[in-house]
Amino acid sequence: MTSSATPSSLIEFRDVHKAFGAKRILQGLTMEVGRQEVFFIIGTSGVGKSVTIKHLIGLLRVDQGEIHFDGERIDNLSEKHFYPVRKRIGMVFQHATLFDSMSLRENVALPLRKHQGLGTKEALAKSDELLERVHMGNFAHSSPATLSDGMKKRAAIARTLAMEPQVVLFDEPTTGLDPVNARRIDRLIRELSDDLGVTSIVVSHDLPSIFGIADRITFIYQGKAYKSGTRQDFEQSGDPIVRQFISGNSHGPMETPGF
Amino acid sequence: MLGDVTISAIGRGTLFAWRELGGITILAGQVLRALLPPRLDGPELFRNLYRMGNRSLPIIALTAFFVGGIMVIQAGVLVKQLNAAGLVGWGAGYAIFREVGPMLIALMFSGRVGSNNTAELATMTVTEQLDGLRALAIDPIPYLVVPRVIAMTVSLLCLVVLGNLIALYGGAFFAMFLLDLEFSTLYYSLVDNIGWLDFVHGAIKAAVFGSAIAMTSCYFGISVRGGAVGVGKAVNAAVVAAAISIVTLDFLLTAVLP
Repeated sequence: MTSSATPSSLIEFRDVHKAFGAKRILQGLTMEVGRQEVFFIIGTSGVGKSVTIKHLIGLLRVDQGEIHFDGERIDNLSEKHFYPVRKRIGMVFQHATLFDSMSLRENVALPLRKHQGLGTKEALAKSDELLERVHMGNFAHSSPATLSDGMKKRAAIARTLAMEPQVVLFDEPTTGLDPVNARRIDRLIRELSDDLGVTSIVVSHDLPSIFGIADRITFIYQGKAYKSGTRQDFEQSGDPIVRQFISGNSHGPMETPGF
Repeated sequence: MLGDVTISAIGRGTLFAWRELGGITILAGQVLRALLPPRLDGPELFRNLYRMGNRSLPIIALTAFFVGGIMVIQAGVLVKQLNAAGLVGWGAGYAIFREVGPMLIALMFSGRVGSNNTAELATMTVTEQLDGLRALAIDPIPYLVVPRVIAMTVSLLCLVVLGNLIALYGGAFFAMFLLDLEFSTLYYSLVDNIGWLDFVHGAIKAAVFGSAIAMTSCYFGISVRGGAVGVGKAVNAAVVAAAISIVTLDFLLTAVLP
């Protein structure tokens, strides 16, 4: 369970491979995420960004390689032993995954009831506070089905925060949102790191988000971490593949699956 | 003589059936393990008891009332020919308690509650809500599946008991108005000839059918693949599997139970 990960890195992927049938997605991914960072994983669609973060909470298992979290190897944990890890690493899914059978406050109260031993009334009261924090207090009694995507994502963030996680994984949090709501989500992610000390790993190809709030970035290409660095490193990069991704140019050296 | 294509189809069908049966058995094992010691979510259990039990009552009551009537009308011709009015209460009660009540109500329950349960779980699966639960460190088996299994088993048991009584009243109602029989004739025919064993026989069947519907509907719901098309296929498979389970278990229980 112990590892030789550097003390400064909270999460470490070492030569991780993952395939679905004959389709090889990750082909030796190696990267490190530091504590309290807002860390972006970027790359074209289908390159394995979401696949990468799902390994961190055991929703997918590596074919080969190792994943370490806070000094412990976690890729080989059984499903049962992954539950304690999931209490420390929360995830906000691309489609929010709120439960339609419950109101927003009941959704947020669920992990509070389950993990913090709170009674229903206490859990609901605390869920109201968390919804206020993400500016969704006025919609606490609404059903998720009646809300916009942006509102659902903010409520999903509140639900994840109820776990008081050390790390939050965001799977394309701004995809499908208008620019105003997208920047609101960005601001929330930044605040989590700055105010609460949460480490955020954000899967995205939304350039304003990436260059607006990222501390560090890893660009996945052909199943590997092609380039890692700060925003400035990427902005100043002369690599033609990185330049093509950032400029969004359809012509260039980048090979894209399906094209 | 069977051709290669037929043999292949039989082989595929057999493998499919065994795979699904294996999956249901594993799920049943996980449900049992989650019950030792019980790790139940109270609000989720009561929510399911209400929507699966209470909200099924009107349709079950209506069906049972007319089933009782059908039993009496079918028996009516023979009763008049043989002048055996004293057997109507016993005949209707015996058939309703032991066979018709549990089986028909279970099939109705499967169509209304089982299919709805599969559709809901399957939609939750394809929209990643089950992964969302696991990401919240909540195991979907104790949280989602176990309350549904308990709710369906308890609900069907209660619905069959109530449905049997309503079916008897329905039978009495139609016997009085269509066959001109006295209520007292029906009543004494029933209480003099029907014992607790007949009631318990039906109740055991109801509980077993309820568990079978719950296991099949939950299994096909959480093992769905392939988006909206997969949800439709899962519901279809769950209804067929539940119907086969009910008939097969009915045969076995009828053979085994006193």
